Amino acid sequence: MTRLLALTVVAGLAAIAWGALSSRARVPLSALALVVSSAGAATLAVRVLATGTNFAWSQTNVLPLGGLDVRLTPLGALFVLVSAVVAIASSVYWTGYARHAMAGRSASASFALFTLSLLVVPMAGNVTTFLFAWELMALSSLILVAHDHARRPESISAARWYAVMTQGGAGAITLALVGLAAHAHSTRFSAIATASTHLSGAVASTFFLFALAGFASKAGVVPLHVWLPKAHAEAPGPVSALMSGAMVNLGVYGIILVGRTLLPQGPQWWWLVVSLLGGTTAAVGALYAATSRDLKRLLAYSTSDNMGLVLLALGASGLSLSTQHPRVASLALATAMVLLVNHSLFKSTLFLGAGAVHAATGSRNMDELGGLSRLMPLTSVTFLVGALAVSAIPPLNGFTGEWLLFQSLLHSLASHDVASVVAGTLAVAAMALTGGLTIIAFVKAFGITFLGRGRTERALGAHEATFSMRVAQGALALACVATGVVPYLLVGVVARGLAGVASPSISGWATLRLSSLSGALTPLFLSGALLGALALVAGWRTLVQRRHGFANVATLEAWGSGRHHQSPQMQYTATSYGEPILRVFDDVLRPDRDLDVSHVVESRYYLERIRYRASNEDVIERFLYRPALALLRAWARRVRVLANGSVHRYLAYGLAALVVILVILK
Amino acid sequence: MKVSYVTPLDLAVVVVIVTAALTLWRQSLVASLRALSLQGVGLGVVAMVLGAHRRDPVLVFVGVLVLLIKGAAIPRLISRVVARDHPGREGSPLINIPASLVGAGLLTLLAFGATRGLVALIATPAARLIPFGVATTLIGFFAMVVRRRAVSQIVGLLTIDNGIALTAFLATSGVPLVVELGVSLDVLLAVAVLRVLAGHLHRQFNIQDLDQLRDLHD
Repeated sequence: MTRLLALTVVAGLAAIAWGALSSRARVPLSALALVVSSAGAATLAVRVLATGTNFAWSQTNVLPLGGLDVRLTPLGALFVLVSAVVAIASSVYWTGYARHAMAGRSASASFALFTLSLLVVPMAGNVTTFLFAWELMALSSLILVAHDHARRPESISAARWYAVMTQGGAGAITLALVGLAAHAHSTRFSAIATASTHLSGAVASTFFLFALAGFASKAGVVPLHVWLPKAHAEAPGPVSALMSGAMVNLGVYGIILVGRTLLPQGPQWWWLVVSLLGGTTAAVGALYAATSRDLKRLLAYSTSDNMGLVLLALGASGLSLSTQHPRVASLALATAMVLLVNHSLFKSTLFLGAGAVHAATGSRNMDELGGLSRLMPLTSVTFLVGALAVSAIPPLNGFTGEWLLFQSLLHSLASHDVASVVAGTLAVAAMALTGGLTIIAFVKAFGITFLGRGRTERALGAHEATFSMRVAQGALALACVATGVVPYLLVGVVARGLAGVASPSISGWATLRLSSLSGALTPLFLSGALLGALALVAGWRTLVQRRHGFANVATLEAWGSGRHHQSPQMQYTATSYGEPILRVFDDVLRPDRDLDVSHVVESRYYLERIRYRASNEDVIERFLYRPALALLRAWARRVRVLANGSVHRYLAYGLAALVVILVILK
Repeated sequence: MKVSYVTPLDLAVVVVIVTAALTLWRQSLVASLRALSLQGVGLGVVAMVLGAHRRDPVLVFVGVLVLLIKGAAIPRLISRVVARDHPGREGSPLINIPASLVGAGLLTLLAFGATRGLVALIATPAARLIPFGVATTLIGFFAMVVRRRAVSQIVGLLTIDNGIALTAFLATSGVPLVVELGVSLDVLLAVAVLRVLAGHLHRQFNIQDLDQLRDLHD
């Protein structure tokens, strides 16, 4: 297995080196090496999952403070496997996408480094290796977010937000992990876990909260999510797929690592906090996804939403553990992992599709798109599969996850503990809300972008994605279908990944049975029933048509409101489709509405033009971050008085500092 | 034997600190340059005496080198600037002369107070003199703060450097040749750059006082 690790690392390093080549072959070469590297990592992960034993390898003289230490546990292997699958698809996709963007040397090398670091983070066996890989991941993805800075000033702003959030998060994580390592007198995770029993409650909670803040910011948890819609939207297609499909997961991995593995005896309130964060994140993410106009921003908010659901499951698991319901705890943890794997599959499908749309039209604004299903048939089909999966429609994989989440939340209600019952009830309510909003968001995403008629020249001039891009999208979409139809593919792998942490008793190939708890699900049967119902409706319609002899049935465009002669302007737009949601949640979202009516000069009864604008800037950004930034800026302006440009004054500061130090050190 | 080593060392160190005070006292740029030159010579002598005492030919060589660079080469470089561009006097310093001498005295007291622990730690006759090294550094820094002329600033910087070198000679058993060589050459380079810069400032903007640089701010 050491060879597989060597293959992963060497091929990854080769990909970085080839990415930096000045030759034109850099993208295919680098992508090939990345596929090899990811395949190596995936094989390694599969072996660890199959045997259920850890794989360990270490090299003490590479890094200071404990050295490079690889320790691949089944849980880590699960994350490596997911990252590798998304990475393979993204790399293949990249070869085609590079014609459009992201073909430069710095972008190519950073992409390779980003992919490699995503594979290495879950393999880390000690604090040093973990933080090293984590930081590489943060920095390389930062370069990729800013890669288009020359043409798009927005990407600089996005990169700045991302840089601050990710480095702040990394700082919090470093504090927590280094603190734990100092307490255990070892940087190894296994030593930290055994030493944690001697940790006092307050200290452990402090470390946990720091780690939670850091990892939650990576996972896009409200209120630390503000970077996510910006960075995911600005990053190029394959990078946003990797960020959303693999990087965000590692935030969850970190929370499990610290909360369950390193500090297993956490008090109940930790998991109440996690549940609360999860519920809020899911609701906020779904709400903004439902009202976004920008296709990639919508997907990014939906990522927040899904991570919120994962945290809900994690929180339910921790709560059930603390109330002595190990079966429910195991089920909920497995649910969290199933949700996470699902999300990686369908969200990377969707982001690759959105990248293809952006490459073909040069726009992410749905109000400028439309009618792409005729011009980009395969992309629209894969996007539809992804959209159905994220909306939890059977027989796609999202449905299994959602069902499991409902099962574990409802079973956790059987507890006698008041806190967990209240949390569970709220969680079920939050899920119901987000489920509905998610469907609205993705009906909009698919309907406005791919159906109807093209709204602008850009949309009309679109063309299908290149072969390699279609291959990557198609493969991921097929994975969504396969894991949905045969849920055991998903649940079985997850159960193996949790070996040693939890033992969810889920069995069955096509039918999932929750032995020990009541519950069974056959997605295939459900979808058969669904198809049957559809066939029934269609047959009935034909029958009615025949009997009443509708001679001339006009077939018009879908979403065309049944009109013959309509202009593209008469269709629903993303703005108008999201408007009711914006109105219903007016008090929460506080949109800036701007209605601009201009009259014809002759008469005030005739309108010349009405312009409606509603900006739904993130309410947390507006009311939490903006004031904080303004405060900081005001403070900085005040401090500027100290720096008036006089050399003597600066020298005097130096002398004063020196004198103060001498006096103190005396 | 002991007297023959301590007395010249004391004398040389006193030369260094007194010349540091002199640069603060005299307003004439030529006079402060002369003091700086003397300071370099004193520093060189300190190194040579220590080297002779420890029978360390390398340290003696370092002393000769210091004497040549800091005692002769650097002051000469600066004096050319003074001769060419500048009138020979420092205008009015930011703090008047008596007050700045009092400040220098206070800084010397601080140096003695702050290095008590260090002196107690190293029990050699040379280490007793460490406070003078620190005091020289502080006085140099102080001179940079209160003086307006670019040339005076350079002199202050060099005094800081001399103070650090003096502390290093007294506290350690000899600075390695490579280190001392590196530091001295760095300072020489810095002075060459500053000289050019000061000349340019004078010719381009007719600036002699660094305070006038504030007009370039914003």
